[in-house]
Amino acid sequence: MALGSQPLDILGDRQSGQDVRTQNITACQSVANIVKTSLGPVGLDKMLVDDIGDVTITNDGATILKMLDVEHPAAKVLVELAELQDREVGDGTTSVVIVAAELLKRANDLVKNKIHPTSVISGYRLAMREACKYVEEKLAIKVDKLGKDSLVNCAKTSMSSKLLSGDSDFFANMVVDAVQAVKMTNARGEIKYPIKGINILKAHGKSAKESYLLKGYALNTGRAAQGMPLKVSPARIACLDFNLQKTKMQLGVQVLVSDPRELEKIRQREADMTKERIEKILKAGANVVLTTKGIDDMALKYFVEAGAIAVRRVRKEDLRHVAKATGATAVSTFADMEGEETFDSSFLGYADEVVEERIADDDVILIKGTKTSSAVSVILRGANDFMLDEMDRALHDALCIVKRTLESNSVVAGGGAVEAALSVYLEYLATTLGSREQLAIAEFAESLLIIPKVLAVNAAKDATDLVAKLRAYHHTAQTKADKKHLSNMGLDLVNGKVRNNLEAGVIEPAMSKVKILQFATEAAITILRIDDMIKLAKDESQDGQD
Amino acid sequence: MQSPVLVLKDSLTRESGSKVHHANIQASKAVADIIRTTLGPRSMLKMLLDAQGGIVVTNDGNSILRELDIAHPAAKSMIELSRTQDEEVGDGTTSVIVLAGEMLHVAEAFIDKKYHPTVICRAYNKALEDALAVLDKISMSIDVNDRSMMLSLVKSCIGTKFTSQFGDLIADLALDATTTVGVDLGQGIREVDIKKYIKVEKIPGGQLEDSKVLKGVMFNKDVVVPGKMKRKIVNPRIILLDCPLEYKKGENQTNAELVREEDWAVLLKMEEEYIENLCVQILKFKPDLVITEKGLSDLACHYFSKAGVSAIRRLRKTDNNRIAKACGAVIVNRPDELQESDIGTGAGLFEVKKIGDEFFSFIVDCKDPKACTVLLRGASKDLLNEVERNLQDAMSVARNILKHPKLVPGGGATELTWPYEAAAVAFEAIPRTLAQNCGVNHANGENAWTGIDGNSGEIADMKELKIWDAYNVKAQTFKTAIEAACMLLRIDDIVSGIKKRQAPGSNQPSKPTIETEGDADNEQMIPE
Repeated sequence: MALGSQPLDILGDRQSGQDVRTQNITACQSVANIVKTSLGPVGLDKMLVDDIGDVTITNDGATILKMLDVEHPAAKVLVELAELQDREVGDGTTSVVIVAAELLKRANDLVKNKIHPTSVISGYRLAMREACKYVEEKLAIKVDKLGKDSLVNCAKTSMSSKLLSGDSDFFANMVVDAVQAVKMTNARGEIKYPIKGINILKAHGKSAKESYLLKGYALNTGRAAQGMPLKVSPARIACLDFNLQKTKMQLGVQVLVSDPRELEKIRQREADMTKERIEKILKAGANVVLTTKGIDDMALKYFVEAGAIAVRRVRKEDLRHVAKATGATAVSTFADMEGEETFDSSFLGYADEVVEERIADDDVILIKGTKTSSAVSVILRGANDFMLDEMDRALHDALCIVKRTLESNSVVAGGGAVEAALSVYLEYLATTLGSREQLAIAEFAESLLIIPKVLAVNAAKDATDLVAKLRAYHHTAQTKADKKHLSNMGLDLVNGKVRNNLEAGVIEPAMSKVKILQFATEAAITILRIDDMIKLAKDESQDGQD
Repeated sequence: MQSPVLVLKDSLTRESGSKVHHANIQASKAVADIIRTTLGPRSMLKMLLDAQGGIVVTNDGNSILRELDIAHPAAKSMIELSRTQDEEVGDGTTSVIVLAGEMLHVAEAFIDKKYHPTVICRAYNKALEDALAVLDKISMSIDVNDRSMMLSLVKSCIGTKFTSQFGDLIADLALDATTTVGVDLGQGIREVDIKKYIKVEKIPGGQLEDSKVLKGVMFNKDVVVPGKMKRKIVNPRIILLDCPLEYKKGENQTNAELVREEDWAVLLKMEEEYIENLCVQILKFKPDLVITEKGLSDLACHYFSKAGVSAIRRLRKTDNNRIAKACGAVIVNRPDELQESDIGTGAGLFEVKKIGDEFFSFIVDCKDPKACTVLLRGASKDLLNEVERNLQDAMSVARNILKHPKLVPGGGATELTWPYEAAAVAFEAIPRTLAQNCGVNHANGENAWTGIDGNSGEIADMKELKIWDAYNVKAQTFKTAIEAACMLLRIDDIVSGIKKRQAPGSNQPSKPTIETEGDADNEQMIPE
């Protein structure tokens, strides 16, 4: 169709100009439409079924798009955008896609009106920079001013759109406690919150409310032998990264003996070496032994006799976390400089207690009261696996948000407040500019309103009316010096009113908003720059063309 | 000009909006309808034929649903519920499905009235909280040592099952078994590990009344040399091993190169000596019975039978653990490290009996058994399977009561005491279904103790009839059902047919999902 009357010598389809732009933008638009209904506290979930019938139920934009297997190249850019947001911030994946798609739509209208894409692009860039500056300077509020409540509120806002919304009070507190428990200061004095140290364990049964936070670490394996005690306290933990099976030479080593009696000795030695190792560990005072490899049945008995808990086939990652939390050193070999084998008691980690508990139908080893306590575990309970998976995702988002809030130390009001404020501000900014970018900035301002609009539409409220009211408030806030506090006005979607969202506790980290703006603009620009798409044909069509 | 834009693969089917709500609700209701008739004392069984032609006859909700091959994703999620319930508390698998199905059914009316699903979810969650509060209020504690009370409770639980005519018997079995393996952890916590320490052995033949709980364990094995070894030993000394009593090669690859002829003989002799050595070490402790999880060579058999020791080989690890628990032995890996304390002396009798065509070993009359075997007898295998399932449920109930000694009235009485309108209608599903299954019209009661007598169809005081449910079974049922219902209600979009990883090729789909620019921009401004 787009090929001219004189077919160019290109093997495949070529589209260019307005056609390709419209097509790209339509594709992005339909991607955004898929996730649109999951935005906001009254957004709904999606059920995704793959070809073997596995079900995922989710509300997370990034997860939905990842599972969707999007084909269109331009639409793929948006999917990657959501993933990027997920990695960088952890939440706001739905918003970023919606904003990007709206920016594109508006840009396309401008281009149709014969404004060159590059002007639109430079306008968008300018607008984005101004918007970020405005968020950071004017809208952001320091967390210190608001205290712990603000963290809980951030987590609640993040969770409000998810399955957990009903119990968001409960989970928000849990999330904040969890993040604060893993707080650590690194060598340079920076405070970090490694949320990877938060272990999320899923066990179906009971109800969501019976999920709990555990100081310490939970290992999803049972103890190696029934004869071992269910509980040791105080625990001295040895973390091993090698086999406690019969000693075996490296691959390909053959032992040649001339005297048959030697053969028997080799066998004997094999067993004894492991025994000696275990004795060394036990002598060092360990009463909990974790290993990533196997433990021979033969070896188990020594632990049983010593009243120690031994756990085999612990995941390496888990072992690292346990070692970190208890102050243990993960040992990969016993060999020391002298060529002897020793196990020093300084390698041991300490915890108040190690117990095996039955959660649902599984045995779980819980390491409680760890010495350095930089690890916590969240044990999730829920009706079934799908629900647990979704709870896991929601919790992860909330954890990320709390972490970001703590790190960036500033928050903004949610519920469309920032978007409305920016829109009013940028529109004013546009009128002060006498250049070509004016139109683009105005459109950028207009596109930001998509967030409050979608929020209102999802809640089945009158979007036009609400957005108009919202803008009016923000206009007053920005023009009248004594009405500054109105800049926190956002939507109350349950009642369909405009309220002060900062006071209502609907807040988000400022960093998340800034990133949304940056990523969405960058993605929109990437797609906007395309004016030609060539789809190369497959080899078999080569013959047909000749 | 407008050209179609393909965003998703054509293999994907996407449904959204209220259509999804209805489809999900329909599917869930369909699942609930399948097992609806298996609730209550007048319930009927289901017979399932699987692909291999095997038959399952049961009325256990979980067992039925597990066998069904269901395509609809929402229905699948319902089936998971039943599994969760089974794993968590072991009983109430039918109730949870019926309740969840009904919750969704009631919600359908609200969705039709344009209520937002999140609003319904919030209300349901609120209802759940209140339900649990009410449950707390009407529950009463019981004394776990009061056997008659416990019996009546377990009985009312299995009243719905096939074995209800043998109610006393099964209840007795379940109670005996669970009290046997119960371990006091201190602080009033009792741990009862049904999975590990109670084994249910089914032997076709005989009568159901012959079933019993053994004070010890039983397993399907005979002594190694039937003629020479004793098959009945009073007060046996038992040694448990988990190592083979035969010559074992080393872990390392060892090659023996022999130059002289005599060396060969030495090698063979060494192997024999090794076994002899093992046996001598074991025999030093004067055992009457040696049991190993691994192999036992002919030579070792010979030594043992000469010493008058019975031996059993290739026992399962789990069985071995149970024997260890029952007779107080410690499983030993290296015979040279045997100690007197490792020997089990708690058993009163070892005996091999021939039942039907097979030999079974009994280690019974243990002094303080912490593990036991429940021996089930019955006419046919299918029947025994069903009895076993009933027994599992009964044992779970008994365990739950031991752990949380609280109970609530059964027979649908608990479900009739709700404050919330929509949820209340849904909760009525249980009594209503009970009533339907015994062929009477349903009625509503006022008193918290009023329920339906599933046999006569009359409304009666559950306190007098002694029909009880365990508190945590009920609580779990409500929680699971409501949470699952909420989850399904929140879905407004189903995308199916996603490939795990798309295969390259097929780049020209035959019938693409077409979205034009106009369609894509379908953001509606819904006025109030």
